[in-house]
Amino acid sequence: MTELMGMSQVNKVCEALKKRIGCEFVALALQNEVGPDVRWHYASGNLNDKYKRITVRFGKGVAGKIISSGSPMMLIDFPNDIYGKVTDHPIMLAEKLVSCYAVPMFFNSLPKGVLLVGKREKYTFSEDDQEMVQDAALELEQILQNQNIG
Amino acid sequence: MDYSASRNQIGSYIIQAQEEEIKRISLELHEGVGQNLFSILTGLKLVESGIHEEQYKNYLHEMTQLIEKTMQEIRLLSVELYPPALITLGLLPAIKSYIKVYTSTFGILVGLSSTGEEKHIPEQYSIAVFRVCQEALANIAKYADTSNVKMDLSWSNSELKITIFDFGKGFQKEDLEKNPYALGIATMKERMLLTGGQCEISSKIGEGTSIEISLPI
Repeated sequence: MTELMGMSQVNKVCEALKKRIGCEFVALALQNEVGPDVRWHYASGNLNDKYKRITVRFGKGVAGKIISSGSPMMLIDFPNDIYGKVTDHPIMLAEKLVSCYAVPMFFNSLPKGVLLVGKREKYTFSEDDQEMVQDAALELEQILQNQNIG
Repeated sequence: MDYSASRNQIGSYIIQAQEEEIKRISLELHEGVGQNLFSILTGLKLVESGIHEEQYKNYLHEMTQLIEKTMQEIRLLSVELYPPALITLGLLPAIKSYIKVYTSTFGILVGLSSTGEEKHIPEQYSIAVFRVCQEALANIAKYADTSNVKMDLSWSNSELKITIFDFGKGFQKEDLEKNPYALGIATMKERMLLTGGQCEISSKIGEGTSIEISLPI
């Protein structure tokens, strides 16, 4: 998948999520069609266009880790509460994020995408926040379902 | 031997020993673990072709895919640890190759130029210059808040000069003293001093940081 189809719908879901949670950044990553690498396809609240050039290896970075594990992940106080190197988290550095919560998106029962919300301050995402991100991810899965991902 | 000379020798020995160990692990991963995985993959593919039960065939296919992914990981990790281009092709191709990975990792564009004819540099020195450039670029990704970097290599008969300018937010020397970033800079300087070269850093708030590396050839 080179470009996101249904961009306006994706935009609508992400903007609504950003507003409800009160976060500064929302982004969507998808695994490349060929190979295991993961790329950020959409971002809102971004400070620059670095996200467009960032490709993370399967298992590396926030997006790569989520796709390889299929589980959500939260960072509360980056770079103080991380396992591994600061440079293993390029999207956090590129967008100056201090906290984030990200969930996997499933296509054909396999984790192939990531929805991430982030703040540029220390923050613990509440259970309500987490649920809202999860619901938005399900909605985005539906929107992207017809695009032969996976 | 006076204290300072002995300290320099120890510093040099530690850095060299660390580089040798990194190279050993990198080669072990590539030549040892990587080759073994390749043999396992070939064997599994052969078994897969001889199996007719759909259930086992699918299972084996998943396993071969996982091994392929692991082989790719091992290859990338090995290159990340010790760039093979540095030994086979030289410093400039190794830097070019690292910049490609750097841009796709951090989204930061690096404009690279090289003037003059590339000269052969002994491996011990070229790895030092490479590591200093790697550290400089990693620091830019961590602290500079920039999307563009300019890197110039200038080769003369007696010297290699490298300038890295980041167009970033810059810093003040006084702030640096409290920052862990300072240790990275001290290591860069120390590495270059051990090669007989130099590493100078200057920065202006709001304009960017410049790193100048020189190595006598």
